[in-house]
Amino acid sequence: MNLEPTDEQRALRATVRQFLAEHAGVDAHVRQLIDDESGTTSQVWNGLADLGATGVLVPAEHGGAGMAMVDAAIVAEEMGAGLYPGPWLSSAVVAPRAIARFGAGSAAAELLSGIAAGDRVAAVGPLYSVPATLSGNGRVSGEFVVDDARAADVILTVTRHGEGLALYAVETALPEVTLGRLPGIDQTRRCFQVTLDRAPGRLLGTAGAQALSALVDDVLIVAAADALGAAQRLVDMTVDYAKTRTQFGQAIGSFQSVAHLCVDMFESVELARSGVIHAAWAVDEGDGDHRHLAALRLKAFSGQLAAVGDTAIQVFGGVGYTWEHDAHLYLKRLLSFSTQGGNADRYLELIGSEFAASVTAGQSQAT
Amino acid sequence: MDFTYSPEAEQFRTELRSWLAANLTEDIVAATRHPGADDQAFELLRAWNARLADDGWAAVAWPTAYGGRGASVLEQLVYAEETTRARVPNPLNIIGINNIAPAIMQYGSERQQLDLLPRMLRADDIWCQGMSEPESGSDLASLRTRAIQDGDEYVVNGQKIWTSLGHRADWCQLYVRTDPDVPKHQGISCFLVDMKSPGISVRPLVALNGDMDFAEVFFTDVRIPADAMLGPLNEGWKVATATLSYERAAAARLYAELQVDLEQLVGDLATARVGDRPALQDPITLHRIGELVTRIKFLEVLCLRSISAMLHGGDAFSTASLAKSVWAESGQKLAALAYDVLGPADNARWADYRLTARALTIAGGTTQINKNITAQRVLGLPRR
Repeated sequence: MNLEPTDEQRALRATVRQFLAEHAGVDAHVRQLIDDESGTTSQVWNGLADLGATGVLVPAEHGGAGMAMVDAAIVAEEMGAGLYPGPWLSSAVVAPRAIARFGAGSAAAELLSGIAAGDRVAAVGPLYSVPATLSGNGRVSGEFVVDDARAADVILTVTRHGEGLALYAVETALPEVTLGRLPGIDQTRRCFQVTLDRAPGRLLGTAGAQALSALVDDVLIVAAADALGAAQRLVDMTVDYAKTRTQFGQAIGSFQSVAHLCVDMFESVELARSGVIHAAWAVDEGDGDHRHLAALRLKAFSGQLAAVGDTAIQVFGGVGYTWEHDAHLYLKRLLSFSTQGGNADRYLELIGSEFAASVTAGQSQAT
Repeated sequence: MDFTYSPEAEQFRTELRSWLAANLTEDIVAATRHPGADDQAFELLRAWNARLADDGWAAVAWPTAYGGRGASVLEQLVYAEETTRARVPNPLNIIGINNIAPAIMQYGSERQQLDLLPRMLRADDIWCQGMSEPESGSDLASLRTRAIQDGDEYVVNGQKIWTSLGHRADWCQLYVRTDPDVPKHQGISCFLVDMKSPGISVRPLVALNGDMDFAEVFFTDVRIPADAMLGPLNEGWKVATATLSYERAAAARLYAELQVDLEQLVGDLATARVGDRPALQDPITLHRIGELVTRIKFLEVLCLRSISAMLHGGDAFSTASLAKSVWAESGQKLAALAYDVLGPADNARWADYRLTARALTIAGGTTQINKNITAQRVLGLPRR
């Protein structure tokens, strides 16, 4: 039993945090890129590659850091805390996990080393909707939503394949690929409607439906870590404000009604942190129900973290309602995650149902 | 990152499980409801406590010299998990074992230790703790019960309230004001008082569900020997804070108890209906179960994080400060779900729990006071 981060993990967190603060700050970078569909600059992306952040999950044999999901979750937290708007989650997490889940490591060797080096950016889809279809000679067709598609050189496309599924690499520069940015409320994320019209693809690997389910678990866990980081940063900002903003001659944080709102936010964040470390550990430990249930619980709980954003803005008061203040960007980041893969209510009902089934079948879910 | 328990802790689990399998019977588990009001249940539990003590399972965290096992933190964690999951009743002297005994071990004379601790462990003597007063609840240090020295005795006058098992107690760890002229934390002393002393009268408090687990204790010119003082004069507050030391993994009871309750509730819901469909196919009921499953699991991880921090030198306090509130509110949600679906008639246990759960956010520090502590000591927000 040891749930403390290792020295390496502390260093990883500090390094990413410092890099984002120095080179991709909210004012200097995130806000400047609001109208930029790629969400990144080559300078920042190459910097992240130099740190090893783009290759965090790429196996060492392909030039990556070969780290675990627990480590990726730490990087994700910092990305969320810094509202990083580029394609890190897609290219550094979803793509390598997709390649691993589809057993495509050797077929995608070149792509993996490109991802680690920062030369190639990959996005993945569809994750939550009907897979794409295949026709003749590896031609892929479908309409689905993909995060970070504009920044991507290649879309790893989940397709039907006989009774199972396959993963195809489709280059985004092809004329058969069209991208349309989807309107949304979150200026720190980029989401696209992708249309593939008989686009030539390269088969990377095949797998059963459970591979996609496991991949979705992976994505939700790391995305929840991003949400955790955003919520944690909001708590820090809000508590700082409550300590320094004075009204009626005293800091507003000395009023119990305000202090208790801060504690409520802190409690949500610490519970979410518990879910993140447990789920990321469960993935690293192996597959199966244990891991899946951990992911469901995490999504169900962290999908409600937007309440932390709402509470933060309540504590900030009028200034928190302005465009100039960063609170809304954090709220929007949390709202994005709350609907990713379906809302929390759906997951809570599912968890209740799984639990009821295990109790009536006489199995304990404890431990 | 490692959530697994050490082989030693797992070995400890195996030993404890087999002892419980051989010794714990249904009548003992059943006696755990209303021991304050039911003489027969009380005596059954007293005998059970003695059996635990005689086989060394009553207070595993205590040093072996006093009848414990000197268990490691992980072993304590396993003990809390296993005894909770097996529905082992809390020791009658739970406050004595966890809170009073550590102070006696640290501040008591050798004679006090040898005379009092083994009898406490076997529940031969029942212990209560005289802390809260009618005007001193959350603000404990404002207590007003006075002790005035008279030769080699002290004379005590005042009143205590919310004294758990006060009406059954043989001994009381009593906190009194010995110096009214200094700041409130500095004028308190602690005594070990024989409850048969003349001038003590006890009135059981009847709780809203009919239970009698608490009492009011009145002190009128009660004379206690000066050598019954525990710790130095006017340093009672320090004695009170020393009581936290041994039972370091007690938080495990919080999540383990909720896990057991939830499994039993869902088992009971399997035959219930909501409207025209089975309760376990009702989306709102499933949603509420899902909420509880999730919060209880995360409470478990929160408690494990605190224990892990204790073991490996991290920050154990931040997470621990949240656990009690999360536990209490989850318990109330569980009780509400049970009552809302099962109603008052069919299942007395859950209807009763709907009422007793009301105490969860009050006893041992209200949720609001907990939030003040977290706000000030963890988040660093200013006091008014």
